[in-house]
Amino acid sequence: MADASIAVRAPKRRGFRTPEARTRLVLAIILHVVIIAGALAMFFPFLWTIITSITPGANLTNTPALIPASPSLGAYGKLFTNLPFAQVILNSLILACVTTVVQLVTSSTAAYAFSRLPFRGQNVVFGIYLATMMIPLQVLIVPLFVELKTFGLLDTYLGALLPTLASAFGIFLLRQAINQVPRELDEAATIDGAGHFRIFGQVILPNIRPALATLVVFSFMGSWNSFLWPLIVLRSPQLQTLPIALAGLQGQYISQWDVIMAGSVVSILPMLALYVFAQKYVIQGVASSGIK
Amino acid sequence: MKRKLIASLAVAGVAALVMTGCASTPAKKADSGPVTITYTNFISDGANVGNLTKIVNAFEKANPNITVNVKTIPYSGYATAQQTDLAAGTESDVFDIDGLSNYQTLQANGQLAQLTGVDSKVYNSGLLDTYQTAGKQYALPTSFSDVVLYYNKDLFDAAGVSYPTSSWTWKDETAAAKKITDQAKGVWGDHQPVTYNEYYKALVQNGASFLSKDGKTAAFDTPAGLAAAKWLVDKSGTTMPTIADGQGTADFDTNLFTAGKLAMLHTGTWVFGNFAKVPFKWDIAVEPGNTKTASAVFSNGIGVYAQSKHIAAAEKWAVYMSSSNEEVNVRLDSGWELPTISDSAKLATYLNKGAPANRQAVFDAAKKIAQSPSLGANSQAIQDAMTAALIEAQAGRETVQQALDSAKSKIDALLAG
Repeated sequence: MADASIAVRAPKRRGFRTPEARTRLVLAIILHVVIIAGALAMFFPFLWTIITSITPGANLTNTPALIPASPSLGAYGKLFTNLPFAQVILNSLILACVTTVVQLVTSSTAAYAFSRLPFRGQNVVFGIYLATMMIPLQVLIVPLFVELKTFGLLDTYLGALLPTLASAFGIFLLRQAINQVPRELDEAATIDGAGHFRIFGQVILPNIRPALATLVVFSFMGSWNSFLWPLIVLRSPQLQTLPIALAGLQGQYISQWDVIMAGSVVSILPMLALYVFAQKYVIQGVASSGIK
Repeated sequence: MKRKLIASLAVAGVAALVMTGCASTPAKKADSGPVTITYTNFISDGANVGNLTKIVNAFEKANPNITVNVKTIPYSGYATAQQTDLAAGTESDVFDIDGLSNYQTLQANGQLAQLTGVDSKVYNSGLLDTYQTAGKQYALPTSFSDVVLYYNKDLFDAAGVSYPTSSWTWKDETAAAKKITDQAKGVWGDHQPVTYNEYYKALVQNGASFLSKDGKTAAFDTPAGLAAAKWLVDKSGTTMPTIADGQGTADFDTNLFTAGKLAMLHTGTWVFGNFAKVPFKWDIAVEPGNTKTASAVFSNGIGVYAQSKHIAAAEKWAVYMSSSNEEVNVRLDSGWELPTISDSAKLATYLNKGAPANRQAVFDAAKKIAQSPSLGANSQAIQDAMTAALIEAQAGRETVQQALDSAKSKIDALLAG
């Protein structure tokens, strides 16, 4: 025993010998404490959500017990009895998938044009695109609603989808990515006889995969979580999406917090799966486009 | 190519004009033949969709010419959806109204059709008045809850004090509370939150009011206003636990009452269920006033859209949804809040449901309402400022007069915008 403790301590003592090494160690400890505290702070809301979801009759006014007295998965069952849960998940999935696919197409083609096809007023048009990102949806909602009413698209999926099909953010993200693809590649392809469509499909797209993966995550997440616009446009119960159905559990006076949280946990799962799958690309994509 | 584009744009433009033109043509003639009306609600969200369907089915059976198309919106998004619909002119024929302040805004903006065929005797008078403007009915109350005085009969008996009655005033309450309070045993006579919500009500109970007649300034800087504030603040430490004891924290008052350590409790009728299994006898009474009786009452309303094309059918549904026998029975059978009718014979299943015995007090309280003042855009900030000032006085950091003076200057500034 004694030998072992000496053996463990010995290298540590050696490590402390120089003042620089000591400073480095202290800094490392502080850094780790800060990072772990940050991670715990970020994780706690999720933990609270999960704990609430397995606490029958839970309320949010009291501090949560870390280990619930009588844990139960009953709230997850209630999701299916109190709500057309399978239906709303399917609705949300359809909307999110269509939005994502169409945004990929519109954003990548527009980004290609902004990056590779110089035209007069290009920067002005691009600036206008970016400016639309600064206007919050809340400001646009009434005019947008009236516009769709005129087209007769209220209470339809097309109405819910239309405003989301082109994304200024997506165009910006992909344009930055395409700008980084060396033009020499285009030139080489041109010499080989490739036109714009082939350059776009076979040279540019394979080179901006991280940015595309990032856009998939962002646009899927945006659609999956969107509340305000679907709430306003989709009124028929059979068209409702997940966030709206979950909000329906939160009544004027009474909220079924355990069921709401169970629904929230389920709603996180697809995003979590997508993110784990795309994580490697997302970090690359965000880092290389210079966006934080 | 260009010409084609211009032509198609022109066609689209004309089509849009025609469509909007059609939409805004009012149809004044009476409904004959089958009509479909839409009803947007938040009251059924969550657990009561099935209950609403029962009422709708009964209505359609009784009125074969009218179909009701129900749309349910989560309560949390209802205000946004309502604003958007009103701006776009797409509001349903009949829609829910979220209490008095929502009603006042809608009525002032001309969004509500006047209801002419309402039999006022059917409704609880206080609740019906809530949805009247200048003597005209613009909406109807669908459900309500209110604040009453709960009391622990065993503690009253032990102290030899007679139970609260509807003729009690503040004086009687204070006297009883002082007699029952026994700090050594941890028994307290009274509990009433020291907040804006209690204060605006206490002002009405004392013949004063929170706002001036024109609604532009605070009006509680009067002797009656001072007395109302003292009524709340002076309980603390004499008949009611202090902030240091935990007063004012979540569920403190109901827990104290459940533990059998509190003789009187001012709180809402929604906590009946909390006291279902307590080992002592308890009952309720209408809250005592000082110069007059007035209670805090919360209600939901239902209204008919002024631009509806089927106003007659819509009004029929609004009346049915707020006072028909089917609606009353569905609500009472399922415990879906309380109906707003006046006929106590129809309320028998609720009135005879067991403790508390004096359930009639719930309906009596709604007859004399202390209406919450309309505070405008800074409503939340005003309420917070008032509560904060009262707590300063309760904690003894300021006199009641000082607290009211500083609250008045803050609130006057907030009211001015």
